[in-house]
Amino acid sequence: MEDKKQQRKNAIIECSLELFASKGFYNTTIPDIAKALKMSVGNMYNYFKSKDILAQEVIRFISKYLGNELRKINELEISTEEKTHKIVEIYFKIALARPEMIDYFLRIYLSNREVFRDGCEGMICVNEFVTEIMIYFEEGVKAGDLRDQDFFSAFGLFMGYLGGMVFLKGEDILPKKLDEYVDDITFNIYKALSV
Amino acid sequence: MKILWITGLACNGNTHSFLNYPYLEQFLDDFEFIYHPIIDSNYSLVDIVSKTISCDILLIEGSISPEITKADKKLVDIITDYSKVVHKIVTVGTCATFGGIFKESEYENISGLHFDEKNLVQSFLNLRYKTISISGCPVHPETLVNTFYAIKNGIELKLDEYLRPKEYFAYTVHNGCTRNEYFEYKIDNHNFGKKEGCMFYNHGCQAPFTHASCNKILWNEVNSKTRVGQPCMGCTEPDFPKANLYETKKNMGIPANLPLGVAKRTYLTLAGVTKAFHINRLEKDMFDD
Amino acid sequence: MIKLIEKIEGEAKLHFSFKDEKIDFVDIEFLQTRSIEKILEGKNAFDALVINPRVCGICGHAHLIATVQALESCYDNIEISNKAKIIRELTLNFELIQNHFKWFYFTVLPLFGYKQAVLKAAYPSQIMGKAIASIAGQYPHNSYAVVGGVVSDITNTDIIKLQQYIQETLNSFEKNVIDLKTDEIEQYVKLEQLFTHKGDLNQILEDILETKWETLGKSFDRFIAFGENSFFQKGKSIKTRRFTAITEENIKEFSNVTSLAKNVVYGDKYYEVGPLSRAIINKNPLIKHIHDKYGDSIVSRIVARVVEIPLLLKHSQQLLKKINLNEPSYIEPKIDISKITASGSSSVEAARGSLTHKVNLKNGIITEYNIITPTQWNLSNGTKQSPGISQKAMFDLPNENIAEIVFKSFDVCSVCTTH
Repeated sequence: MEDKKQQRKNAIIECSLELFASKGFYNTTIPDIAKALKMSVGNMYNYFKSKDILAQEVIRFISKYLGNELRKINELEISTEEKTHKIVEIYFKIALARPEMIDYFLRIYLSNREVFRDGCEGMICVNEFVTEIMIYFEEGVKAGDLRDQDFFSAFGLFMGYLGGMVFLKGEDILPKKLDEYVDDITFNIYKALSV
Repeated sequence: MKILWITGLACNGNTHSFLNYPYLEQFLDDFEFIYHPIIDSNYSLVDIVSKTISCDILLIEGSISPEITKADKKLVDIITDYSKVVHKIVTVGTCATFGGIFKESEYENISGLHFDEKNLVQSFLNLRYKTISISGCPVHPETLVNTFYAIKNGIELKLDEYLRPKEYFAYTVHNGCTRNEYFEYKIDNHNFGKKEGCMFYNHGCQAPFTHASCNKILWNEVNSKTRVGQPCMGCTEPDFPKANLYETKKNMGIPANLPLGVAKRTYLTLAGVTKAFHINRLEKDMFDD
Repeated sequence: MIKLIEKIEGEAKLHFSFKDEKIDFVDIEFLQTRSIEKILEGKNAFDALVINPRVCGICGHAHLIATVQALESCYDNIEISNKAKIIRELTLNFELIQNHFKWFYFTVLPLFGYKQAVLKAAYPSQIMGKAIASIAGQYPHNSYAVVGGVVSDITNTDIIKLQQYIQETLNSFEKNVIDLKTDEIEQYVKLEQLFTHKGDLNQILEDILETKWETLGKSFDRFIAFGENSFFQKGKSIKTRRFTAITEENIKEFSNVTSLAKNVVYGDKYYEVGPLSRAIINKNPLIKHIHDKYGDSIVSRIVARVVEIPLLLKHSQQLLKKINLNEPSYIEPKIDISKITASGSSSVEAARGSLTHKVNLKNGIITEYNIITPTQWNLSNGTKQSPGISQKAMFDLPNENIAEIVFKSFDVCSVCTTH
């Protein structure tokens, strides 16, 4: 029963993501999403009481998804440098395969704080993702590979850089394909953060 | 029940901590010291080392080295001789248990009776089965004396991997600290000289991962270090003392040592959640309006 | 012949040589050292606050206060509130007091053939332990004094508790040791006036007078004290001539052949430290009168140590009234310790006498540390031509048992002496 409900929820989330990406966040309404899924609007409200709550669930979903991928990398017995490479690689891979996800994060989560203020205070809705980045940093410092510094300085550098590249890709400015930048970007990030 | 209290390389802190036991009169009625560093007995130190006098418990305070002598007899020989007649051995304090602060002294092979920090020492392996470790720098008088009573009453105490009674050492120093709320809600604005704030985040408090009952049974029956605002220094543990004791070692802002048994992801997730919220009562001074 | 002296916070060996059935020379040998000064090298300055109390289990708190002050003296500009200063002085007083009770009932009584009175020592010591723990968290072994002040945020009700502990300890002193009041200490001019009071001290003094031991243990009659605070004055006294201008720089330490403990001199001379020394330098009236008649003998030493208990308790009561709770307990130093490269030193009066700590820091790391303890002063192991204080005191005695009485009248701490 629970599983079916969660499956339904996930289906709604996936559908919303696509519509937010193609039509825009404010232009997409709950009835739009219901129609795309062939659900009644009333039924929709059973799963998500409001669009804001749906929006928060969407970011949690993305965080869990990304967090899961990063966790797999963190649990590998490889060097910090190799982990850095894999993180950049998976981020860009998801940006290509599931553009609506990264797009949601950059253009909707970061840009519409008023939607997320109540219920997504601080970084609680991106917890899984941030925790994995923290673990990557902490283990890198412990191993003597990364320089010990304020978490946010390092976080800003890493995430700002990746987000920036995806943003540029979205604007169709990059001459090369996103995955062709992985090596260079890994090199730059590792050089900046390492001891 | 007869006890022999013998001292290796020590400061005598355990001896004086023991004297703070509140029911000393009762204790001295129930037990007899055949030798003690301060309390007189029928035997002098010279008597104790020249022949093996019958007793039930051998108590060792201070670190041990094959080079140390007492009244011209090697301490390790005194231990070997008495270990044959006693039915329990108790190592009193962190030095006698793990080596402690004086491990860095200049005698050879300094260690505790069975442990050299975390490592098992080979020399007295055959005595492990009858040893109880009461670590601490110094030992807590109640922990020590109640262990004596347990031995006297034939109670088999459950011991941890370092032979410490779980009834005292399964607790962490964190249990019962009056600053717990600041820890729970990750309010890391502690300053020395204030009764508010938790010292785990910045001031090196080792309470969440140190085994002891300091905040449960309190010191001198009234208080504890963490309650007054001194960070726990982890003095019951094999690696006491660590370095830079008043600082919390962090790797990119994340404490290097986490609460006992708590997984990193669990801790970080909880920290992430609590840090998102503000609790006004805990962010101001307790007595403020 | 060699006598092993036990129960002096460890042991010591006295090597006696006799001539014409009298002690000709005593070679004092301390047998063990933990090399704490070496252990401190390379450590972070603040770690000394944790390690140094472990020099000693009965006077470790004095080491803590000496350490924090020595570190603070390495800063050019550091502010410590009066509140923190008073709090530090209070906890130090409490430690001195429990030391003196323990010495009297554990060490002195057996020297005169009486059984130790364990509970009479333990009870007031436990109360003083509670008083320290109320402020510093626990006793023994705390590190509540940090560079910049103290960690404790005490309140009005804490002060009320402390007043109660002090009164209870005073009651215990008056009930058991001697029911002497502090104003009587100011007014009395003769030892015999003490006999109008009741207490265990009188028994000991009567025994001393009866055996005609009242001039036993006289030494050079030279006294020194470095640990100045609101009660103790700094200075030296040669017989009764007092000089106040003394400096830690003129303290010299050197090894002797026999013992692991080092000797200490000031301007090339051995000096006595401890309660008798402090009382002479403070010009305590009762002690001055006793010293006038009996010199620096065991009588003067015993009475001086015992009366320090009520004097310190009364002074602590006064200090408590002076605390302004509105002051901060801790003022963060403007410069981080990692930027400090300097030398510093400090002296405090520990139970047995002046305790001096000297430290060299480089970028906040200890490069050198030197500890000079009171027992090193009193028990310096000089030569026959130039004997130390206690050696002179034991000279010409008929046997080693009487020598042990004189030796222990200095209140010996073996672990401190060798540290």
